[in-house]
Amino acid sequence: QVFETVAKKYDVMNDSMTLGIHRVWKDILMHKMNPCPGTLLLDVAGGTGDIAFRFINYVRSVRQRQLQRKLKNHQNLSWQEIFESYQKDKFNSLGDSQVVVCDINREMLKVGKQKAQHLGYSEGLSWVLGNAEELPFDDDKFDVYTIAFGIRNVTRIDLALQEAYRVLKPGGRFLCLEFSRVSNPLLSRLYDLYSFQVIPVLGEVIAGDWKSYQYLVESIRQFPPQEELKAMIEDAGFFKVDYENLNFGIVAIHSGFKL
Amino acid sequence: VRCQHCPPLRALQVSAALRRAPDEHKKEPLASSSQQHFDSPPAGHQPEEKPQGPRPSYTGQGGQESEDYESEEQLQHRILTAALEFVPEHGWTAEAIAEGAKTLGLSVAAAGLFHSDGSELILHFVSECNTKLSELLKKEQKLVQLGEAEKKPIDEFLRDAVEARLRMLIPYIEKWPQALSVLLLPRNIPSSLNLLTSMIDDIWHYAGDQSTDFNWYTRRAVLTGIYNTTELVMMQDSSPGFEDTWRFLENRVADAMTMSNTASQVQSTGEAVVQGLMGAAVTVSNAETSRAVR
Repeated sequence: QVFETVAKKYDVMNDSMTLGIHRVWKDILMHKMNPCPGTLLLDVAGGTGDIAFRFINYVRSVRQRQLQRKLKNHQNLSWQEIFESYQKDKFNSLGDSQVVVCDINREMLKVGKQKAQHLGYSEGLSWVLGNAEELPFDDDKFDVYTIAFGIRNVTRIDLALQEAYRVLKPGGRFLCLEFSRVSNPLLSRLYDLYSFQVIPVLGEVIAGDWKSYQYLVESIRQFPPQEELKAMIEDAGFFKVDYENLNFGIVAIHSGFKL
Repeated sequence: VRCQHCPPLRALQVSAALRRAPDEHKKEPLASSSQQHFDSPPAGHQPEEKPQGPRPSYTGQGGQESEDYESEEQLQHRILTAALEFVPEHGWTAEAIAEGAKTLGLSVAAAGLFHSDGSELILHFVSECNTKLSELLKKEQKLVQLGEAEKKPIDEFLRDAVEARLRMLIPYIEKWPQALSVLLLPRNIPSSLNLLTSMIDDIWHYAGDQSTDFNWYTRRAVLTGIYNTTELVMMQDSSPGFEDTWRFLENRVADAMTMSNTASQVQSTGEAVVQGLMGAAVTVSNAETSRAVR
C-alpha cells in the first residue's frame, strides 16, 4: 500500500535519495550478471523497469558484437548469402532474450509500461502481476532471477527465496541487490544521520509523503545484514552464495546458483 | 523465522544439477522436497517429466554428504570441459562457457560461476593438456621399462615431448594468442607460472638420468625458454603441418645440447630466458592486436 502512493514519484525519489548513485548500482548488477543473448530473466519487484531496460540494452549490445564477429568470419560468402544472413539476424536483435517484470503492485507496473513505451522498448518485455512469495510461474523456467530493492519489502523472505529457487532452471542464478549493513562506524553514523533526517524530508517535499519514506528508512534498518541474508539464501538451496558490498555496505549484491 | 535445526537440513535437500557419478544412466524417482523445511508445502515441487538434463541426487541421512555426491568443483570441471568445444567459435570467453553449460542441460547463467574473461577456462585447458602429456610420457616410459621400446637420446626425447604438448594447441590455435595474454594478467600469473613449471619439471623427470649434463637450475630455464619460444613461433606459423615450428624446435634443442658444456652459458642462459620472456610478452600482445585487427 505504501507503494501505491509512491509509484508515480518512485524514480524521482530514488534519484534524490541516493543522489543518482542507484543508477550505478543497477549498472554494476547488470555487469555482474553479464547475460548472454538467449537469457530469460525474471525481475521481481521490478515495477518501474529499471533492471529490465538495462538488461535489454546489455543483451542488445552483446548481440551486436556477436553479429559483427560472425560477419567478420564470413568474409568469403557471396553477396546473396550475406544478404540472407543479415535479413535473418536483423529480426533477432535481442537474440531471443526476454525479461519478465513481476510486481505485486499494479501501479508500479503501469508506470513501468508507460516508461517502456516512452523510451521505445517494445520487444522482449512482459509485465506480470504477482507476489514474490507465490510466483505465478512454472518450475525451472528462468535463467536469472533478480530482485532489486524489493526483497526487504517481502514479509516472508524465506518463502520468496524458495520461490526463486523453484522457478529457476538448474544452473540458474539468483541475484539480489539490496540495502545492507554498513560496518564502518564513522560511515554508519553519517549514513544514519542522512537516512533519518534527510530522506523523510525529501519524501515530503518531492512526493508529499513523509510517512512512506520514514517506513522505507526503518525497513532498511530492520533488514538482515549481509551474512545473515547469505545464510538464508543457502537455506533455500542455492550454492556458491556470495555477496559484494557496494559503497562500504550501504548496498550489497548477493548471488547464488541453483546447482 | 528460521528453525534452529536448519543447518543439517540443508544437506538433505534435493539438488537440481549436482549428481551422483555412478548413477549416470539411471533415472531416479524425484524426491519430494518435504524434507526441506517443516513448514513449506511439499506438493508443489513435483516437476514434470524431464526427458534430458541433470537428475536430482540425494545425500545420505544424517546430513552427511555421501562420497559419490558430486561437488561444486567437479561440476565446474564438467562445465569447463564441455565449454572447450565452443572455444574455436567463441574464443576463451564467458559465451563459450555458457554454451558448454547449455550442453550439460544447465542454464546459460551458470557461466556466472566463472570470471568473465575466461581465465578459469584457459587454466583448466592448460592443466588438462599437462595431465595428458604426463600420461603420454608415463606410457612411453613403461614401454621402455618393459623393453618394448628403445630409450630415446635426450635431444629427441625433449623434442618429442615439447612437440606432443604443443600439438594439443592446434585445434585452438586461432584463439591461443588471446589465451596467452589472459594468462599473463597479474591475477593469473601465479597459477599459469605454476602450471608451466610443473609441466617442465615433469618432462625432465621422465627424461631420466641422461640429463646429468645440465645443472638443475639451468635445466628448467633452458627447457622453459625452448618451450615458450617454440610456442610463439607456432602461433605465427602458417606452414603446412607447422613444419617450420618443428624445425625451429629441433634447432633450439640442438643449441641447448651444445650449450650445456659451457659453464659460462649458465648465466647467459638465464639472461637469455628473461629476455626471451620479455620479448614473448611483447610479441604476444602484438600478435593479439594484429589478430584482432585482421
